[in-house]
Amino acid sequence: MTSFDFEGRAIPFEPGDSIATALYRARVRIFSRSFKYHRPRGMYCGTGDCPNCMMTVDGEAATRTCVTPAEPGQRVRRSTGWPSADFDFLAGLWWLRALLPVGFYYKSMIKPAGFFATVEPSIRRLAGLGDVDTAAPPTDRERRYHHPDLCVIGAGVAGLGAALAAAAAGQTVVICDEGAIGEKLPSGPVRDRATSLAVSVRSAAGITVLERGTAFGVYEGPLVPVVAADALHLVMPRRVVVATGAMDVHGAFAGNDLPGVWLGRGAALMASRGLRPAEVAVVAIDREEGLEHLAMLEAAGVKIAAVAAPAALAGRIRGGARVFAGGRIAAVGGLKRVRSAVIEVGGSRHRIACDGVVVAVGLEPRSNLARQAAAASVEVAVVGDAGRPGLSLAEAEADGRAAGSGGATTTARPDLPESPAAGFVCLCEDITVPDLDLAWHEGFQSTELLKRYSTVSMGPCQGGLCHRHLQGFVRARAPEEISSGPTTARPPARPVRLEDVAAGARYPLEYRTALHDRHLAIGGTMEWAGAWKRVERYGNVPDEYRAVRERVSVMDVSTLGKYLVAGPDATAFLEGLYPCRVADLRSHRSRYTLLLNEAGYVFDDGLVGSLGDGRYYLTFTSGGADVVESWLRDWADTWGHDVYLANQTYTLGAINLCGPKAREVLSGLAGGAVDAKAIPYGGLASVSVAGIDCLVMRVGFVGELSFELHHPRSHSVALWDALLEAGRPFGIAPHGLEALRLLRLEKAHIIVGQDTDFDSTPHKLGLDWAVKMDKPHFVGRTALERMAAIRPNRMLRGLRFPEAPADGAQLVASGQRVGYLTSSRFSPSLNLGVALGWIYDDGAGIPETVEAVDGSGRVLRGTVTHGPFYDPQGARLRA
Amino acid sequence: MALMIPCPHCGRRPYGEFWASGELPEGGHGVEADVEADYRRVWLRRNVAGDQRERWFHHAGCRRWLTLTRNTITNAIHDVV
Repeated sequence: MTSFDFEGRAIPFEPGDSIATALYRARVRIFSRSFKYHRPRGMYCGTGDCPNCMMTVDGEAATRTCVTPAEPGQRVRRSTGWPSADFDFLAGLWWLRALLPVGFYYKSMIKPAGFFATVEPSIRRLAGLGDVDTAAPPTDRERRYHHPDLCVIGAGVAGLGAALAAAAAGQTVVICDEGAIGEKLPSGPVRDRATSLAVSVRSAAGITVLERGTAFGVYEGPLVPVVAADALHLVMPRRVVVATGAMDVHGAFAGNDLPGVWLGRGAALMASRGLRPAEVAVVAIDREEGLEHLAMLEAAGVKIAAVAAPAALAGRIRGGARVFAGGRIAAVGGLKRVRSAVIEVGGSRHRIACDGVVVAVGLEPRSNLARQAAAASVEVAVVGDAGRPGLSLAEAEADGRAAGSGGATTTARPDLPESPAAGFVCLCEDITVPDLDLAWHEGFQSTELLKRYSTVSMGPCQGGLCHRHLQGFVRARAPEEISSGPTTARPPARPVRLEDVAAGARYPLEYRTALHDRHLAIGGTMEWAGAWKRVERYGNVPDEYRAVRERVSVMDVSTLGKYLVAGPDATAFLEGLYPCRVADLRSHRSRYTLLLNEAGYVFDDGLVGSLGDGRYYLTFTSGGADVVESWLRDWADTWGHDVYLANQTYTLGAINLCGPKAREVLSGLAGGAVDAKAIPYGGLASVSVAGIDCLVMRVGFVGELSFELHHPRSHSVALWDALLEAGRPFGIAPHGLEALRLLRLEKAHIIVGQDTDFDSTPHKLGLDWAVKMDKPHFVGRTALERMAAIRPNRMLRGLRFPEAPADGAQLVASGQRVGYLTSSRFSPSLNLGVALGWIYDDGAGIPETVEAVDGSGRVLRGTVTHGPFYDPQGARLRA
Repeated sequence: MALMIPCPHCGRRPYGEFWASGELPEGGHGVEADVEADYRRVWLRRNVAGDQRERWFHHAGCRRWLTLTRNTITNAIHDVV
């Protein structure tokens, strides 16, 4: 016989058993301890609708054991109760409940200050539903997408009918159910019909069945996420049918949470599996179905002590039970389990000894998903019991079929229950009627306020049992709809693991250049630059720096955004786009340009190079390539220009060869002239380097003689190796981003995003020269014209310090904070700290000297400057 | 949320494949010489509750801009070009 482990005991189980039914057969009666008061709780709904049977299964807390199939070797334990759920000393909390009123943590432990922080960990240990195993390794859950015509939630007769009708009309269908089809139904005509419909559904073309697939939300789109064992299924149908059925109304009477109290359909389900929900039971029914429950309970061997039923049904009850026509259950007695029940009829009360109470009075639609859909403005068809509780078998199937073929459906909201009289309203959060009363008197006088203050309906069942009791409670005290309306339903409708929500969300996508492995092989430390991985350093940053300034160096700049622009309107297009002049750009020359948005703020920068014949090669900063593409296409579309844009960011590699010896290294490899006449500063040329066709651009970001070699990505490794080989006699060493940050800072070149923010105009950055206001138009020009009349409130300036303050240091002058540094490094060439920073100007002008405070305890005195710190004339750059 | 956008080039695709650039300014999008009109176009939004013309970029698909009408209450989308 197969078995699973339950707190050290081997529990045998039979085919079809859930964990809960196997435990029940093994005479386990206390399934958990409640959230706040540690009340004993036993099986109650049997259909996954209440929190009572939640246990830790294989390390996973808060698993609903009544809808989890038993499997060999499972490790099951109750995670609430101390020392155990059976004997829980904390159950004494119930007798201290006067000291723990609703919201007690808002009212007590306020003084002395910090007291709550001291006791909070203990309170947290006392409350709750179990522990999360933080040591468990993350799983690799998959995500799958479905795009059917119809998604049916719930595979009862109505849902199955809807699926078959839609499939018959040639539509594709995804139908999901939390359990196996028919599993939650007691044996009888309903289950027989569901089973026979299921055969047709499984064999129908175009129907995908997700059994044990829990739909936990209905989102806009619509989107129905379904958690199943294999994957998270994201169903994006054109139409949604909600066929989630109904359950019995949670009875509100004293003792309603004791083990031994059952909802009618749950008790019938147990009986039809041959399990006795009680030995001696008191039953309350209000409809035809109740008679079937009675028959089923008796067949299972339950002695029916008494039945409370409406007069119309009372006459039809057979057997030896005492029948109370027009009676109702007023209270249940017992401490750890049911000992007796009190039936009230016509003002008199009758106490009847029993060990079980079965309540089948009223049907409560499982409405959470339907209400979520309404809140998200998603039109759904709600069919069967979920729409009109109490339909006959034939009516439910017809209702489903009508919705499946696209017909209109009608829904009927059952009347609100009376205000709950006594007992627990919310089993999940342990909220009693006196708790709601107290909260009401404290002024929380609407459903939404009561919910937020008392947490009623905020537990694992998400108000499934209690949300309408809450409405009934308010309606009796404040009849206006605005106070007593239903609370907003939000996902998840069923408990869902964060792991499932995150299914398919993998580690971030990482872009690598063709030289990635070359960098790693020589000890490169990588860092993120947008979606790219780039070299932060190879090891010795000062040597990387000196290689650029004194010898020769290379850097992998393949991450630059690279575009080819051509077409009859290319020149007009770029002229309209860029604040620099483009039309007068000579063939094989390039220019620095800012990218401005319509509001005149800088969002990127780069180069525009003319390839002649109205063709252009554009570069942008790393990481901005995709945004820039959308920007280019947006304007090309808007103006209706006849231009062709090719994003070559991912197909071309680029290596920057720089340093005083760069030309000597290049000339040894180049198939053509690379002297200052052939490729002057700002020039570009097509040259074969080491046999590889390169577009060579003379650029100046690091402030030395530099050649950017753009080439097909497939040749990056060969070119890199050739450059390192040819540079070896000159002491070549590659440099990474950290060296680059210092090199460009010595030249006071900005990095967009580091030195700029959302409020950076070219003027504030000191880049007026890059903006040609005499052009008739370019994107952002009108905004700049408008802002020219406004005095800038701050400027980006260079600063010199004796040492380098930390990045982000605050600047102080005359005791006032006047700005902050965006970049700061120590320059070995100049033997001083160089920085860029924003300095405010409140009208008194920019101060000439400031003090930098960076939290290290130092106060560094600095002077405010203009222009590059290193090689201000640009002689080295233009060499 | 899983808004589906009927892209004229790629078919009905989930909105996560698109970037939204918000409502199309009054009088459309483009360079405007008049300073006042430009200010209104760049900074002011009507923020209607109902049908609104918008631009969306299909970055994970055809990499084309779509102009479409979205109802800001129901998210119903139509007139995609």
